[in-house]
Amino acid sequence: MKALLALIIIDLKLALRNRSVLFFNYFFPLIFFFVFGYAMHAEQGTRIVQVVTMVFAIGILGNGLFGAGMRAVQERENDVLRRYKVTPITPVPLLAASMITGVILYLPGLLLMLVLANRLFHMAVPPNLISLLLFAMIGCIAFRSIGLIIAAVVNSSQESLILIQPLYMAMLFLSGATFPLSFFPNWLQIVTQFIPATYLMTGAAGILQRGETLAHNWLAVVALIITSAVGLFIATKLFRWEKEEKLPSSAKLWVLVVLLPFVILGVYQSWSRDELTKSKLLARDLSRGHTWLLQNARIFVGNGEVIESGAVLVRKGKIEHIYRGAAPDPKSLSAEAVDAAGKTILPGLIDVHVHLGATGGFTDASAPPDMKKQMDRELAAYLYSGVTAVRSAGDMTDEILKARARVGSGLELGAELFACGPLFTAEGGHGTEYAKFVPEPMRANFNAQFVRTPQSADEARQQVDALANQHVDAIKGILESGAPGFPFNRMDVNILRAVADAAHSHKLPVAVHTGNAADAADAVAVGTDSVEHGSFADEIPDPLFGEMKAKGIAYDPTLSVVEGFSSFAKGDTSLLKRSLVQQVTTKELLDGTEHAATSEQTRAMREGIGRYPMSLQTGTSNLLKAWHAGVMLVTGTDAGNFLVLHGPTVQHEIELWVAAGIPADVALQAATFNAAKLLRADSRVGTLEEGKEATLLVVDGNPLQDVRALSAVSMVFMKGERVVRSELFKQD
Amino acid sequence: MTSTAGEHAIYVRGLRKSYGSFEAVKGIDFEVRPGEVFGLLGPNGAGKTSTVEILEGLRPRSSGEVKVLDFDPDLQKQRLKDRIGVCLQATNLPDKITVREALNLFGRFYTETVDGDALLQRLQLWEKKDAGYATLSGGQKQRLAIAMALINNPRLLFLDEPTTGLDPQVRLEIRDLLEELRAENRTILLTTHYIEEAERLCDRVAIIDAGQIIAIGSPRELQERSANQSSIEITLTNPWRGGDLPQWQHASSCNVSDDARHIKVTSAQAARTLVEMVKWIDAQRLELDDVRLNRPTLEDVFIELTGKRLRD
Repeated sequence: MKALLALIIIDLKLALRNRSVLFFNYFFPLIFFFVFGYAMHAEQGTRIVQVVTMVFAIGILGNGLFGAGMRAVQERENDVLRRYKVTPITPVPLLAASMITGVILYLPGLLLMLVLANRLFHMAVPPNLISLLLFAMIGCIAFRSIGLIIAAVVNSSQESLILIQPLYMAMLFLSGATFPLSFFPNWLQIVTQFIPATYLMTGAAGILQRGETLAHNWLAVVALIITSAVGLFIATKLFRWEKEEKLPSSAKLWVLVVLLPFVILGVYQSWSRDELTKSKLLARDLSRGHTWLLQNARIFVGNGEVIESGAVLVRKGKIEHIYRGAAPDPKSLSAEAVDAAGKTILPGLIDVHVHLGATGGFTDASAPPDMKKQMDRELAAYLYSGVTAVRSAGDMTDEILKARARVGSGLELGAELFACGPLFTAEGGHGTEYAKFVPEPMRANFNAQFVRTPQSADEARQQVDALANQHVDAIKGILESGAPGFPFNRMDVNILRAVADAAHSHKLPVAVHTGNAADAADAVAVGTDSVEHGSFADEIPDPLFGEMKAKGIAYDPTLSVVEGFSSFAKGDTSLLKRSLVQQVTTKELLDGTEHAATSEQTRAMREGIGRYPMSLQTGTSNLLKAWHAGVMLVTGTDAGNFLVLHGPTVQHEIELWVAAGIPADVALQAATFNAAKLLRADSRVGTLEEGKEATLLVVDGNPLQDVRALSAVSMVFMKGERVVRSELFKQD
Repeated sequence: MTSTAGEHAIYVRGLRKSYGSFEAVKGIDFEVRPGEVFGLLGPNGAGKTSTVEILEGLRPRSSGEVKVLDFDPDLQKQRLKDRIGVCLQATNLPDKITVREALNLFGRFYTETVDGDALLQRLQLWEKKDAGYATLSGGQKQRLAIAMALINNPRLLFLDEPTTGLDPQVRLEIRDLLEELRAENRTILLTTHYIEEAERLCDRVAIIDAGQIIAIGSPRELQERSANQSSIEITLTNPWRGGDLPQWQHASSCNVSDDARHIKVTSAQAARTLVEMVKWIDAQRLELDDVRLNRPTLEDVFIELTGKRLRD
């Protein structure tokens, strides 16, 4: 013990006298720190965390491989170790001293960097500093042991360089220490999972960015500890005091034994992809942590106010400040400036009524669609178009909740998803008719996923309770009798009331599909939170709208779906020709839909649809009455139905409203503030106010004067991240 | 002669060491008594280093009995190393370590240590105590090596070529130092290339060649045991032109130089022969210019026994 202490002290003294040690431990990482820091504009948000993580790993790599590895070989070559050999000490204190010295030398550099990051780049003091330091120590010891095992198996400095250089380079470039992993193709990302330094990166990033502790990174910690222990053990066994003692070249395979924990971990991670998922999320966090100043713009706040010239300061994913008039110098705010002169900034648009399980058109593909792929693509299409949140008003429950989790975590970039889950309807009611398109063996599952047909109020309550446990965002019921030739069993109103009450007891909003004025009246009577569709068949009486206003019930007219049905029935595909639709829709879907809408094969189906008694004019008229009555309006489109393709849905719905005579600002407020309120998300989104999420849309021109400007999407920000729209459809 | 291990600082019986099929040490016996300075002489590759390293606990033996300070070097390696001092021939320290740090560091490895500063003063290193190792001269490095070998106050010292590679002046300094250590009654096992060093310092020497001890004893004993005879060389003022020389008593050969002024006679009883020769010179009325009597050196013995010079 006293020998170990003496060796540590002398190792430290010698290290501090050695310029190259000081250079590689302190100066070299700091060069990286400043180069990365200034090159990446680390002061503009949380990117500094990435810089710190990178330099963290670079430091440990150099300290371990060169610090321990090279020195041990040199001491043997210079006959220094020979002198120790004749004393009573064993290799253990020598090796242990090297490991411990490495840690002691490394930590001050790390602390210095954290201080500099805090002072110069405004990085917050890490909440789990202890975890970070412990992780650094474990990492440092593990990499020292890798260095020592290399020293143990090589016969000369030259050989050790030949081994260390490629190992160092591989770890430097394949761990994300120099390039973020997200830059890598898929196969190379798998390779990174076999590189020990990768775990240093993700571990440190997790602790720094997401407030993780050592426990969250236990796999990496265990692997590093095993590497340290195995490394120390083998280095002791293979220890050579004199350069004259040579080891056969095959001894170099011991290096692989030390790296074995990471080989195993790599295999596991290639399968589970937990770590890759984590690094993807970490990268997303960083993108969302950037600081932006969008200046010289018109700002549509969402609550009725319009700032004709102002600026929005976005920091850490939130709107930090709204400036009226000129904003301060972006440098003084440590923000990246974006000039938005001539543009309008709005809260991201919201569609409260979509079905992601349907595409809105046809494809010629015979294989059943990959639901995950389809939903991710549709959510990306919404985000591309500036529709930053959508509510699924009826989809396969498990699939939609999984999709919600993917975009919710940031793993996939797409519009935020709110999910109703299955439809509450009657046996033989609207919603059950789709099962006939499903092959018999899968029908039971389809029904379990897609509909609920409670036979009693009790059953209804139990079903709502179960869905609440799955954390759905809303409950949807159906009141629909169909039309002559298209009969549906209508749901028992008392059972629907039980559904609504149960939903409210879980603080879930209720949406009710209505087919006509009587349905709407019953929906209001059972206490729905929104009337979906209203009526395309008959006029809804003014007193009902008065009651809706009084009760704060929202009206979602979904004019888009009536227009879509009638266009399809007529074989009019002009809806497909809209610019944003063309940009966000796959070629197969565009071609297939174009074909289906005009071919002879679908004539019978189109004529059938054409006979269904619903009219855009009636829908429009009910919308205007609702507006006049002061009812809260929200924008939904029923996307997924004929010719209502996922993407720029809200834009077109608003165009229909404005064409009907609704003022643009009323329509825009319905699509932002009101929709957010209906989704119970108005504390986070829906308006451009301080403290709200920086989820916003920047368009060219002024949509308040010409709503077509809403389609002139210039930029989209999602929770602080400036969405690279061209990359949206290239996600894995 | 019967002896047991207990009475000896070093006790070796039937020591063998093989490296694969090559046998470097082929069964040697010797012992070193406490307080004795014992020299191990032998040409390169004779098995000297193997023997010493086995004694120091650095290398396992193949067979034989070995006790060093009553420890078995194979089985009690750490305890043995704790009690002996070793001064290696080719060794180094980190460039930037200071003299004092090095000595104190190595002191930490032993259970018993002496005052390092006193040791530095004694070895005339006090002035250099804060100097980095790389800045020391060869002699200073060697003195430091000896200081480090003494830090645990060992009763038994292994000195491997302690003066090799040093210039003559420094070599003399180191020899004086070894004389001092000898005077302290420490047991020393010395290996050296310098015959005169061994002659001057060692109580006994063993000559080892091809893995075997071919002679052992005090330098004088070895000289006397040598088959080499002493020689008498006389130089005359004027050349001897008197024809054949007489047959002097005990003389085994007789040579006259070309100029007839130098006469060299070898004899098993040089003193007697010399008296005869002087009488003869007087009788012949010759003038004696110089007389030289040469005894065989340890080097001569070494060459005689091994057929090799010690230093090639």
